[in-house]
Amino acid sequence: MQNNGFLQTKEILAITLIVIGSKLADSTPALLAQKAQNGFWLIPVIAFVCIFPSFLIMLYLLNRYQHKNMIELIETITGKWIGKIIGLLLFLFTFLTLTLNSRNYVEQIKLLYFPESPTEIIYLIFFGIVFFGAKRGFEVIGYTSWVALPIIKLSAALVIILIMGNIVIQRVFPIFGSGLPIMLSEGVKSTAIFAELFFLLIAYQSAKKTQMFTKGVIIASIIAILEIVLFYFVYITVFDYNSIGKIAFPFHDIIQYIQFGEFFTNIETIFMIFWLFAAYIKFIIFIYITAWIFGEIFAIRNFEPLLLPFSFLVIMIGLLPINSISNELVLHDSLITIMSPFLIILPVLLWIIALVKGDLKR
Amino acid sequence: MRLLSGQRKKNSSPSDKNISSSLSSNIQEMKQLFSYKLNKDFSMRTLNLKFNHKEACLFYYSSIVDGARINLNIIKPLLENDGDSVSNVVSIENIEEVSDFETANENINSGKVILFIEGDKMAYAMDVADFQHRAVSKSENETTIKGPLDAFTESMNTNISLIRKQLHNSQLINEGIQIGERSKNEVNLIYLKDLVNDDILENLRSRLKDIKTDSVRNVEMLEQYLEERPYSLLPTILYTEKPDKATSYIEEGFIVLLMDSSSACLIVPVTFWSFFHYPEDRYLRFFYGNFTRAIRLLSFYLTLMISATFVAIANFHSEMIPPDLLLAITASRERIPFPLIFEVLIMEIAFELIREAGLRIPNPLGPTIGIVGALILGQAAVEANIISPIIVIVVALSGLSSFALADLNINFTIRIMRFLFILAAGTFGMLALTGASLLFFMYTASIKSFGIPFFSPMSPHFISSEDTVFRKALKKELFRPEYLRPKDIRKKAKS
Repeated sequence: MQNNGFLQTKEILAITLIVIGSKLADSTPALLAQKAQNGFWLIPVIAFVCIFPSFLIMLYLLNRYQHKNMIELIETITGKWIGKIIGLLLFLFTFLTLTLNSRNYVEQIKLLYFPESPTEIIYLIFFGIVFFGAKRGFEVIGYTSWVALPIIKLSAALVIILIMGNIVIQRVFPIFGSGLPIMLSEGVKSTAIFAELFFLLIAYQSAKKTQMFTKGVIIASIIAILEIVLFYFVYITVFDYNSIGKIAFPFHDIIQYIQFGEFFTNIETIFMIFWLFAAYIKFIIFIYITAWIFGEIFAIRNFEPLLLPFSFLVIMIGLLPINSISNELVLHDSLITIMSPFLIILPVLLWIIALVKGDLKR
Repeated sequence: MRLLSGQRKKNSSPSDKNISSSLSSNIQEMKQLFSYKLNKDFSMRTLNLKFNHKEACLFYYSSIVDGARINLNIIKPLLENDGDSVSNVVSIENIEEVSDFETANENINSGKVILFIEGDKMAYAMDVADFQHRAVSKSENETTIKGPLDAFTESMNTNISLIRKQLHNSQLINEGIQIGERSKNEVNLIYLKDLVNDDILENLRSRLKDIKTDSVRNVEMLEQYLEERPYSLLPTILYTEKPDKATSYIEEGFIVLLMDSSSACLIVPVTFWSFFHYPEDRYLRFFYGNFTRAIRLLSFYLTLMISATFVAIANFHSEMIPPDLLLAITASRERIPFPLIFEVLIMEIAFELIREAGLRIPNPLGPTIGIVGALILGQAAVEANIISPIIVIVVALSGLSSFALADLNINFTIRIMRFLFILAAGTFGMLALTGASLLFFMYTASIKSFGIPFFSPMSPHFISSEDTVFRKALKKELFRPEYLRPKDIRKKAKS
C-alpha cells in the first residue's frame, strides 16, 4: 500500500463521513423502524453511545502500540494464532457487511430507477465501476472523497431545506415509539450499524501522522451521528409512525416528495446522482478495506490484485439471497445483531489483555 | 595518415580527433567532415593574418551566419590590424577556444565561424549566428483582452529576452542541455536558482539526457519524449506560447523549457489547475477574474457532460423533465427515425468535422465553411427530419463551450472524453454516467506529473496561494505552492 504522506485529517474525515454518513440514505432506517416505529430516530444515538467508548479504547490501543494497524495490533496483543482467528472473524464480518449492503444498494437502484433491468447487470456495472475505482489506490480514494464530500453534503442539505414544508413536528410523539424497553434493546442490538468505524481502523497508518487519522475519524463520527439523527428525525416527521415501517428506502421516498418551485416538480434524479456518487465511493472504500484486512491477515503486502476476485465474489454471493427483503430484513438484521456484542466487547477484552500483559506500562 | 584513412571509412561521423598544429591537415579534416564542395552553403575562406604573418582559414555555414559581420568584424581586422592575439584583433563579442573537431562541428552547426591558424593547436569559434526567424508577433492561439499580447517566436534569444524583460533577477538561470544523437539540438531550462527544487530539476535533467533519438526538432516533440504516460488521455506538461504565462510559472518555482525552433515553451511540473487557469484571470480584478473562472468551470461541465446528460435524462429519466418541456421535446422528435443517442453522435461528429475542416481550410475560405457547415447543414438536417432542433441546441452548446477551454491539450482530453460519456449515458443512463465521471475523476486524481499529484493543492492539501477553482485577492497570496518544495515558500509580501 502506498503511503506518500499525502492523506491528512480532511481526507480521512471525508472517507469516514461518506462511509458512515451514507447510513442516512439507505435502508438502515427501515430496518430500525420495524420494531421501534417512530422512535427509531433515537436508536442511532443509543447505538453510538454503546459503541463509541469501545471505539475510543481501540484508538487508544492503536496509539499506544505505535506503527501498527488494527490486525497487527490484535495479533500483537492476543498472540499470532488467536489474533489470526479474530482477524479472520473481522474479515468475515467486513465481507458480509459489504456483500449484504451492496445487494441492498443494487436493489434500490433497480427498484427506483431501472425497474426493467436485470439485477445481475446492474450489479455487474456497479461493481465494475467500484473495482476500477478501488484499483486507483487508497490515496486517490482519499482525494476523491474530499473533493466529492462538499457536493454530496450540499445536496443532502438541499433535501432538508426543500422538505421543511412537509414536516409535522407533532409526529415525533410518542417520543419513544413502541416503548422505551424495546428501544433500548434495539439500540444495543443495532450497535453494529457503526461497524464500519472499526473496519476503517485498518487504514490507521495511511495518514501523514496517526494523530491526523484519529482526529479525522473522531470528528467525522460525531458529524455523522448528528447528520443521521437529523435525517431520521425528518423521516419520522414527514411519514408518521404507521407508514415509516412500511417504507423501504425513506431517502428516495422523501426526494420524490420535494419539488423545486412550480416548474421543476420531479427532481429526484438530481439527488439520485449525488446519492450514486456517495454510494460508489462508499463501496470503493469498503472493498478496498476488505481486501486490505484480508491482505494483512495473510501477510499479503501487495493486496491490490485481490480486488478483482473480491469484486467477483461480492457479486456472486450478493446475488444469492432470493430477494431484497430477505436480504435486508433477515440476513442483514441478523448480521448486525451478531456483530454488535463482538464489536462492543472486543476492544475491552484487548485492553484488559494488554493491561494484564503489562504492555501499557511503557 | 593511417589514422586519417580509418577516419574516412567511418564516413562523415563527427571526429573526436584533436586539432593539429598543421593548417593543411586541419583544412583537409574539415573539408572531409563537412563534405566541402558537395555541401553548397559550407564556406571556407583562407587569408594571411597581419598580426603574426601566418596563414589562416575560416569555416562557416553561409546560410546561418551574418555575412556582413564576418566581413567587417573578423576578416577585415584580421587582414589589417595589428595585435598580440586573435582576441585582441577581431572585434567580435564572443570568442571561444576549441581544441577538437567534435566541438568545432557543434559550433559551426550553431552558427559560429571557426578560425584555424597555421601552427596553432587551438581553433577559435566566433559567434556570428543569424538564424532566420519571425519577428515577435501577437499571440494568435491564446488571445487576451487585458494583458501583454506578445508571444514567443522561433528564436531562443528572442524568447529569453521576452522572459528576462519581465523578470529582472540575477538568479534567473538559462541552462542548456544538448539532446539528439545526429542533430544536436539544445534545450534550454529556465528557472530561478534560489527557488527551484533541486530534485525536480535533477529529475528533469536526467530525463532529458535519457532521450535516445536521432533528433528532437522542437518542443512539441520534446513534450512527447519527456512525458511519462504517452498513452494517457491527460497531458502532464503544459504548453504555452505566452511569455507572461511562462514567467508567472517561473516565479512560482516551476521550470520552463525552450528550444530554438519553437514559438512556444513547455512548463513542468503541472497540476490540473495549470490547465484550468489562464493568465488573464489574474490580470482582471478579483471579481471579474473569478467570474471568468466560474464561466470556465461551467464550460468544462457543458463540454464534457451536456450531451451525455441529455441522452441519459431523455432516455432513462424522462420523468424529471417538466411535462411541458417533455412534450415539446417529444413533439420535435416525433418524425425523427433515429434513436436519440445516434442523433447526438451524428451531430457531435459533424461538429468535430466542421471544427477540423475550418482549422485546415485556406484562410480566404474560412468564413464560408462556417456558414455552409453550421448554418445551412444544420438547418437542412432539421428540415429533413434527420436531426431534431433540440439536439442542435445541445450539441452547439457543447461545441461552443469547448472553445472556452483555451489550453489545447486539455481541450482534446475533454472532447474525447465527451464521446465516452455519451456512450456511457446511452447504455445505462445516470448510473453509468455517474460511474464514468467518477472513474474519470479518480483517474485524473491518480495522475502525477514529476511526482506531483494532479489535484494538489486541493487534495492532497499543500500550503499554497490557494489558487484552485477560484483565486484569492492578489495581496492575500502569500505562499508559493508547497508541492513543488521550493527553497523559499513565502512570497515576500510581509516581513
